[in-house]
Amino acid sequence: MSSSAPAVQTVDVTKTYRVGHMDYPALRGVSMKIGKGEFVAIMGPSGSGKSTLLNVIGALDPPTSGRVIIDGINLRRLNEDQLALLRNRKLGFVYQSFNLIQRLTSLENVEMPLISRGLPENVRKSRSLKMLSAVGLARMAKKRPAELSGGEQQRVAIARALVTEPALIIADEPTGNLDSKTTRELVDQFVQVNKEFGTTILVVTHNAEIANRTQHIISLMDGLIEKEQYLQRIDSYSPG
Amino acid sequence: MQIADIFKLAYKALVDRKIRSVLTILGITVGSAIILALIASSSGLSAGITSNIEKTGANVLTLQTAGGFFESGSTTRYQLSQQDVDYLKTIPGVAYVYQYYSYGASVNSGGSALRATMVGIDLSALPVLYKGLSVAKGRIPLLGDTTSAIVGWGIANPVSGTPIDLNQMVSMSVTGISGSRGAVSYAVLATAILTQYGTSLFANIDDTIYISLQAAQFLSKTPYFSGIYVIVDNTDDVSNVQNTLTTYYGNNVRVISPGQILSSIQGITGQLTLFLGSIGAVSLFVATVGIVNTMYVSVMERTREIGILKALGYRPKQIMGLFLAEAALTGVIGAFCGIILGYVLSFLMGGLFSGFGGGGGFGFGGGGGRTATTTIQPVFSTELIVFSLVFPVILATMAGLYPAWRASRMNAVAALKYE
Repeated sequence: MSSSAPAVQTVDVTKTYRVGHMDYPALRGVSMKIGKGEFVAIMGPSGSGKSTLLNVIGALDPPTSGRVIIDGINLRRLNEDQLALLRNRKLGFVYQSFNLIQRLTSLENVEMPLISRGLPENVRKSRSLKMLSAVGLARMAKKRPAELSGGEQQRVAIARALVTEPALIIADEPTGNLDSKTTRELVDQFVQVNKEFGTTILVVTHNAEIANRTQHIISLMDGLIEKEQYLQRIDSYSPG
Repeated sequence: MQIADIFKLAYKALVDRKIRSVLTILGITVGSAIILALIASSSGLSAGITSNIEKTGANVLTLQTAGGFFESGSTTRYQLSQQDVDYLKTIPGVAYVYQYYSYGASVNSGGSALRATMVGIDLSALPVLYKGLSVAKGRIPLLGDTTSAIVGWGIANPVSGTPIDLNQMVSMSVTGISGSRGAVSYAVLATAILTQYGTSLFANIDDTIYISLQAAQFLSKTPYFSGIYVIVDNTDDVSNVQNTLTTYYGNNVRVISPGQILSSIQGITGQLTLFLGSIGAVSLFVATVGIVNTMYVSVMERTREIGILKALGYRPKQIMGLFLAEAALTGVIGAFCGIILGYVLSFLMGGLFSGFGGGGGFGFGGGGGRTATTTIQPVFSTELIVFSLVFPVILATMAGLYPAWRASRMNAVAALKYE
């Protein structure tokens, strides 16, 4: 893995929400670095600022202060269109509630980020189908989300996140709606993607079992990093 | 993002909410169909009236005594006589002057009575006065022949009653002759029958019997004419001659020019078209408000989807484009259906309008005749078709602007949390 620039770097990031007349600090100065190709877990109790941090890193929500640098690009310098472009080119999102578009088939859902790029239909279709095969869902290409199980839907979402060949996948409690068996399969999927494509994966989770399969755990508490822990080196990692 | 992809996605979104989309499209369809149908049939009405008027040449001026519209023969007013004819011939630019008598008549047609007009005029004037009028059978009586007559097509071929053939006696009772209280019986020999012609500005030619001026003068026992046709050599001189006449006669004589009547009637039908068109426009406007509503609700319902699009890296303009495309597509489908529906509707309306348009309602100079019913043919100009296609699409797209803008401005994080 090249280490020219970290995949993600935050410097003194704060985020304050104003609720009514009260300022509510969600992040109070988070500085961290995630190397390229890392599989990272962000843990912490509810309200610790995990999701806020993900949204800030995901270029969906600007920080109140501090810098967010994705793959060497400082987000502060970007306008709204450039941020959208960055999300399309560099980031892939996976959500707890899958966030698939219900009226579209699996294949069409995976195609969506490529449509925004203006790629021709045949290129989109073949890339999307390849990605669906990679997550083991080629058979389900024509099915709509409602016809799929939770685990299958989440794998479609992973395929959609991967199809753009992003530098970073951001997953917000991706197994929160899944049973333990499916959870295990899905984590296997993440591990496989991480190994196979070298994609940096940032996953927010409550689940210690998932966290233990990552290489790097960042624990948040009250909007600050409480502790950071490296579990194993990427080359010594073996799935199973 | 490619245009085709935008519309494909928009189409899928519309199909996803079938009933709502169909209802919204229906609004546009009905609105644009009403505009198309109303304008097409009122243009048809206008064209029908115009062609009636144009049968009387634009170079023909008609003089009638001020009271002459409904009571020809009144003695208390100015009367048109040979003196006037002599004067009119001296006006520069005047080519011909034809004085005429006109009376209401009832033709005895095998027991039933036909409403007709009897006109006494120099019979050689007819082709000059009415463009394209010709004799179907027989020939125009010679000058001085006081017993022969030219019979209109409608009199010769009545809807009910006995047809009149060439060289047959036509007996009728003539009304409105001064000095005689009731009707005067009169008979003429039909030596010519005219082709079917329809209604002109001042006469329903088909329901008229033309006799020679001398015969009419003899019958009416008056030197005063019902009116005088003045034919101007050059159409450009018509208004000059008209001014001269108006100055000379003042209010005593009415000078009627077909061009003037045509322009005022075209003014009226133009207003009618505008009025009917605006009724259609109102319904289209209501439909447009319907689109705003549907689109707005749709944007709210799809808040989460908009959040997903934002996360996937769709730029605000692309999101706006997707929703605008939905609105535009609603307009396109609505406009196409509207043209088909409007086309059908306009023919139904054409039948409705025919009652007051194509009939002989304008034959005031020659007295009332049998009303010839002609159907209004709707007129679909290229402009109208293009307008009916483009206008709903523009309106629909404009209706989508605000909802689409709202969609593009949504906060991604809030939209993704939206339940």
